[in-house]
Amino acid sequence: METEQDEVAQDELGPEIALDKDPFQLTVEDVYDISHIVGQDLLKISREARGVSSLVSDLQFKIVRVLEMLEALVNQSSLSAEELKMERDNLKAEVERLLKDGPQMGVGPDKMVIDLTDPNRPRFTLQELRDVLQERNKLKVKLLVAQDELQCYKSGIIPSPDDQIVTLENESMITCSPRENESKEKSTVKSLFSFKQGKQT
Amino acid sequence: MQNLQVAPVSRSRIISNMPKPYTPEACHQYQTQFDAEVQTVCQQRNAGAIGLKMSKAVMVGDLYVGKTSLINRFCKNVFDRDYKATIGVDFEIERFEILGIPFNFQIWDTAGQEKFKCIASAYYRGAQVIITAFDLGDISTLENTRRWVQDALKENEPDTCSIFLVGTKKDTLSEAELERTEQDAVRLAIDLQAEYWSVSAKTGENVKEFFFRVASLAFEQSMKKELEKNRGNTAQIGVGNLIQLDGNSSDKRENETQLNMNCC
Ligand SMILES: Nc1nc2c(ncn2[C@@H]2O[C@H](COP(=O)(O)OP(=O)(O)O)[C@@H](O)[C@H]2O)c(=O)[nH]1
Ligand SMILES: [Mg+2]
Repeated sequence: METEQDEVAQDELGPEIALDKDPFQLTVEDVYDISHIVGQDLLKISREARGVSSLVSDLQFKIVRVLEMLEALVNQSSLSAEELKMERDNLKAEVERLLKDGPQMGVGPDKMVIDLTDPNRPRFTLQELRDVLQERNKLKVKLLVAQDELQCYKSGIIPSPDDQIVTLENESMITCSPRENESKEKSTVKSLFSFKQGKQT
Repeated sequence: MQNLQVAPVSRSRIISNMPKPYTPEACHQYQTQFDAEVQTVCQQRNAGAIGLKMSKAVMVGDLYVGKTSLINRFCKNVFDRDYKATIGVDFEIERFEILGIPFNFQIWDTAGQEKFKCIASAYYRGAQVIITAFDLGDISTLENTRRWVQDALKENEPDTCSIFLVGTKKDTLSEAELERTEQDAVRLAIDLQAEYWSVSAKTGENVKEFFFRVASLAFEQSMKKELEKNRGNTAQIGVGNLIQLDGNSSDKRENETQLNMNCC
């Protein structure tokens, strides 16, 4: 686009405009324009003053060399500018793509990706773990009670039928309370434990 | 627990004198004897006919400091070099006989991992004892005990819990290192109004002494609380129905509260 504008400008104003340009805006075409202008001037000089023609051709040779150097520099810098521009456009496109696809494939804050093929992936909820733990605790209380009862039988102490009931109240309380009268008929083992469930404290 | 009461308590769990604290610098009390009134009440009772007393302790602290190992050394007399993270929460019940009275001591072991906190914290409730553990070889775990204690206290009524600060893995430190760390720990213990102990689950050093001390203080505490309650309720001080087992239905409610040591 810039080159097009430059060409339009040059068509109207002639090649001289190249000499007024910011050196960092210079294109290879500008260098050729400058080369053309300088060439025209040198031609004029050699026409007017016949005696100096060999000096002028020396000078002309040097100017050509300088212009070649300028051409190389301008080429090089516009090339790297072009590369940077391409790089920038690629990155822009990449950012846009990521922003568009992001919500589906990436994860937002406080989210986690679960690999469904991982046999060790998380699959149980906190509540399920709570329930399992509670169940385990109940069984452990039962085990302890049974172990003690076994010890009683082994040592010849027969548990008396009117003592206490072991209770696992809500999650974390193991309590004992006196057994109620009506439960006296039940067998000792059965009435040893009743596990209350619920939220009461 | 009827049979827990009937089955004889292991001879190695019988306590008749108040165990000594680890250091007088940070301890709950210096008395070498149980409270006189508590002793009298216990003497007046035939051990076999008395109801079951129990207290609940919760063990809190960072992951890997040695909480489970400490409990396993005391309750099962084992030490496992391999590490197995505690899932959520676990518990042991130790049966003591203190001053002739059967005493069931619940020790709740909790997971130090952040992800289990919301589960474990439900089990802090109703504890009379908070044991907070740190690794003597890792000073950052000492600093974290402050937060563990706060979390456990939050779940309980104010002034119902006694706190113990325990430095673990004593076997991994030289005398000089231990002395330095203990200075910091004792300072923190005083700050937290906790009793301080250094132990090793590996060698067993101070483990039995520690739990005996905790159980004895918890027992004394709960007896005193009941004496206090009875003083308020009736004129019968230290007689008859302190920890009555067979109540008639009219004062059953009261009995239950007395027997259920978890409601404080
Ligand atoms: N040397 C030594 N290692 C210990 C001691 N107590 C625990 N450990 C080790 O420390 C690790 C963590 O112990 P554990 O009881 O599972 O820690 P928890 O996460 O606090 O329950 C395990 O590998 C234990 O073997 C101790 O007293 N001495
Ligand atoms: Mg553990």
